[in-house]
Amino acid sequence: MEKDKSLEQNQRAKPTSLIGNTIITGLVGGLLWSFFGFLSSFFNFSKVSPASFILRPWLVTGWSDGFLGQLISIVVIGILSIAIAIIYYLLFKHLKGIWPSAVFGIALWFIVFYLLQPIFPNIPHMTKLDSDTVVTTICLYLLYGTFIGYSISYAYLDKKRMKIYNFRSIKSKN
Amino acid sequence: MRNTKNKRPISDKLKENQSYMKDRVGVGTSFDVGYRKLSLLKKETDLYYLTGLCDSSLIVELIKKLVEINDNESNVRKLADIVENRLVHQQVTRVKTMDEVVDQLLSGLIVIFVDGVDEAFIVDVRSYPGRSPQEPDTEKVVRGSRDGYTENIIQNTALTRRRVRDERLRHEIVQVGERSKTDICISFLQDVADEGLVNLIKDEIKNIEIDGISMADKTVEEFLVKQGFNPFPLVRYTERPDVAANHLLEGHVLIMVDTSPSMIITPTTYFHHVQHAEEYRESPVAGTFIRWVRFMGILMSVFLLPLWLLMTMDPSLLPEKLQFIGPNEEGNIPIVLQILMADIGIEFLRMAAIHTPTPLSTAMGLIAAVLIGQIAIDVGMFSAEVILYVAVSAIGSFATPSYELSVANKIARMLLVIITAIFSVKGLVIGFSLYLLLLTTTRSLNTPYLWPFLPFDYKAMIQIIFRVSVPLNKVRPSIVHPRNAYKQPKD
Repeated sequence: MEKDKSLEQNQRAKPTSLIGNTIITGLVGGLLWSFFGFLSSFFNFSKVSPASFILRPWLVTGWSDGFLGQLISIVVIGILSIAIAIIYYLLFKHLKGIWPSAVFGIALWFIVFYLLQPIFPNIPHMTKLDSDTVVTTICLYLLYGTFIGYSISYAYLDKKRMKIYNFRSIKSKN
Repeated sequence: MRNTKNKRPISDKLKENQSYMKDRVGVGTSFDVGYRKLSLLKKETDLYYLTGLCDSSLIVELIKKLVEINDNESNVRKLADIVENRLVHQQVTRVKTMDEVVDQLLSGLIVIFVDGVDEAFIVDVRSYPGRSPQEPDTEKVVRGSRDGYTENIIQNTALTRRRVRDERLRHEIVQVGERSKTDICISFLQDVADEGLVNLIKDEIKNIEIDGISMADKTVEEFLVKQGFNPFPLVRYTERPDVAANHLLEGHVLIMVDTSPSMIITPTTYFHHVQHAEEYRESPVAGTFIRWVRFMGILMSVFLLPLWLLMTMDPSLLPEKLQFIGPNEEGNIPIVLQILMADIGIEFLRMAAIHTPTPLSTAMGLIAAVLIGQIAIDVGMFSAEVILYVAVSAIGSFATPSYELSVANKIARMLLVIITAIFSVKGLVIGFSLYLLLLTTTRSLNTPYLWPFLPFDYKAMIQIIFRVSVPLNKVRPSIVHPRNAYKQPKD
């Protein structure tokens, strides 16, 4: 019997490519953890918010610190995170476990708060930040790094493992 | 483990077998081991049975047929074959060693020795005391099948088979426990389940060395997953055959242990513990709604109390719009202690309610609500807001479908409250990060525990966030490493 291809149950799901997975992981990771960054600034855990990186340095208007400004910043960070994810995919995807990616997250924190700090005139030098802000942002970067890094390396290593495994099981059948 | 002792063959002299049965099994001493002597064609025949576990009417029927041999047969030399032929039952086996005889006899099968034959006949006339399938108390649904697994492993495999009539469904049985000899069944779809996982589970189960597993599934779980100090449940239990069958079809491996109605589903992640059969009985949108409400409940059960505690400790953290939060009067005891005391108080009530008979527990609920809640506020022990937030997070725990997860989350919540009280903002932030990181590093049978959230798998995550309709749900979850990823049959 000919199957009706327009019915949803007759369409096959496509397998995901690693790079597609990387891009989506980066996007979701950026959106999710910058949202947590927004929450932590909303509850005054930290003095910096997503908007204080993305919008405030060059746009000091009323709305850029409000919800709209935060929302735009979250989306922008999500898109920037795709690049971060691709960098991780290219350089570190073969590293096993969650600790390399946690270190990656902390390294990102240093890059943003120490090396890139001169770009953001509204953010004080890392030694002048209060301790709550430092701890909160380090934790968020650590989780962000873990989320992106561990997901990418897990997907990569899992696919590799399955390939070897399938190859073996085909070989053992013959 | 087993097979350490040399196997003793069955003797063709009936007297030797009799004395063996008397010494080893205690025939004549143990009153539940029964013994009946028959004479067939002038040869002695012994029949052993276990009184509690056999179906008497079946045995009577078999003895009738055996005795008829005296009327209808005459060839003594072929007695063994004649006896086997006359045992009118579909499950008759011949065994050669006494060890097998003893094992089978104590499982409730009857054993027949014939003088001059170095074999024994074993007939399956088991009839175990037990209940019939009932809806499990812990996994009720509004609609859907009302049968549940029972304590009988044979019935349980049958209930599964009713739902998966696939010839590739395998029920492999092993015996564990030097003394208890408990049956454990490993169920999986042969062409779907991950071979590595199946072998891993089989090895782990075969390596269990213990005299008995009276706590059945829980003991097996502890041998299987090496829990350590981790309070989180590393396997999921279900008593519903439909849930079990669904997981089989997804490529999971089930472990059933005789004498327990709970099936172990492996591999399991955190998110298996936050789903419920109910969601799949509603329309996808309603199921998604229920699921989100449930997620909110679970999140609140962990993070609401520490967050609120932080806000009362340092009201300057509160955003302007939420300034109304925080107790108007502090009470006489520090808020942290109030929270911990109230939380432990609820735990008292929950425990008491489990052990109390239903009519009494209604009265107990009344005492709890009126006396402890209201009067504790009136005398100034608790502030009203503490009761509110502790109650909300307790209800959140009850909304967690997996009881084991709700207890683990309760422990996490208390630790978070304590660490927040000591280190304030840093405590909560670091505690939150540790909660996530520890769950991420947890692995159950080589499966990352927080999958598909961390490591992130967007397709599987969509399945978690939304209750996707079944026709749209075409692939098996990658976490079980299915050998065949597609659910639909090939064109």
